[in-house]
Amino acid sequence: MSKWICGICGYVYDEEKEGVPFRALPEDWVCPLCGAGKRLFSPQEGQQPAPPSASGPISLQGEWTELSAGALSAVCSNLARGCEKQYQEQEAALFRELAGFLAAAAPPVPDGSVDRLLELIRQDLSQGYPALTAAAQAEGDRGTQRICVWGEKVTRMLEALLERYRREGEAFLRDTNVWVCSVCGFVYVGDSAPQLCPVCKVPDWKFERVEGRR
Amino acid sequence: MKRLAVRNLRLCTKDCLCLYVCPTGATDTENSIIDTTKCVGCGVCADACPSGAISMVPVQYPPQQKKAEGVVALANALAESKAVQEGMARQLAEGEQAPGLFRLLTAVYRSVRLVNEDLLREAGYMLPQSANSHKLLKSWLETPPSPDFPVEAAKQLLERIPCNETE
Repeated sequence: MSKWICGICGYVYDEEKEGVPFRALPEDWVCPLCGAGKRLFSPQEGQQPAPPSASGPISLQGEWTELSAGALSAVCSNLARGCEKQYQEQEAALFRELAGFLAAAAPPVPDGSVDRLLELIRQDLSQGYPALTAAAQAEGDRGTQRICVWGEKVTRMLEALLERYRREGEAFLRDTNVWVCSVCGFVYVGDSAPQLCPVCKVPDWKFERVEGRR
Repeated sequence: MKRLAVRNLRLCTKDCLCLYVCPTGATDTENSIIDTTKCVGCGVCADACPSGAISMVPVQYPPQQKKAEGVVALANALAESKAVQEGMARQLAEGEQAPGLFRLLTAVYRSVRLVNEDLLREAGYMLPQSANSHKLLKSWLETPPSPDFPVEAAKQLLERIPCNETE
């Protein structure tokens, strides 16, 4: 599976997502973004390396930190974002590599179910956020209070969406889209993304549409 | 403090004032990205840009704010809960056949990751240049957590990113 790039506008044809090899496309196929012909595409150079270690969970040894592999993966993907914001692309890629490894290293969750997921979400809402908010207020830590305000709203929305899915089933999401705010994580169900994120107020182009399975 | 000009392509309306005023030609490039090797940080382009597309970013950042231990402990506990939720939602999505629930669970794990990143940013990992980030990378370099851990990535990061705090 590889990616092909439009030489005019940079559109990426991802064979894996599209399900059709680029070479198998009809000769009159054109770029969906700018209309350039098939011959103006070329394969992406230096195809992205395979995600590190798809061979299953890895055991992390030693008391090297108080955070688990899953949480450390989020530390690293957060630092990757920090590098991106400082226009340090190579450093961002290195942090993403670490984040990918650590995500694969996180042990599988044994008793997963939508019900169990809802339980954990409710636990954050009833205990996690109130405790953290109170501590942050006592310290005058407004940065932490901000992530509590955003995170709690986003988490409430996840709870509501999962509950609604349990009531309505697939009909809830048929013929509509699921969107994620790439800044705060707010999830929105609807044909198009909201003009402004209701939680963090970024514009609609900061939303990403969740693609279905191919 | 040394600064560099950065152009936001989403805002740039190609008025080209930056090309006229730049004393070194750093703003005139084939890919529209300002050439950092030529930029002297004078800021004339940012002042002249009518669409506000150029900002001056510092080369060095001040140390991040110190966090209280009690706040960090609670934030870490919440981060662990988020990590379990993310892993669970990802796992459920992978095995899910119903197209709607697949998309919803995918949205959930991506959302939870974003929330967790934000949480950990406020819990002492705001800057890649921070002492905390360096401590973490160093610990991985000294004691790789597993035999196939990408130690080289940690090593390169330590070499490339200067620490902006004295430990």
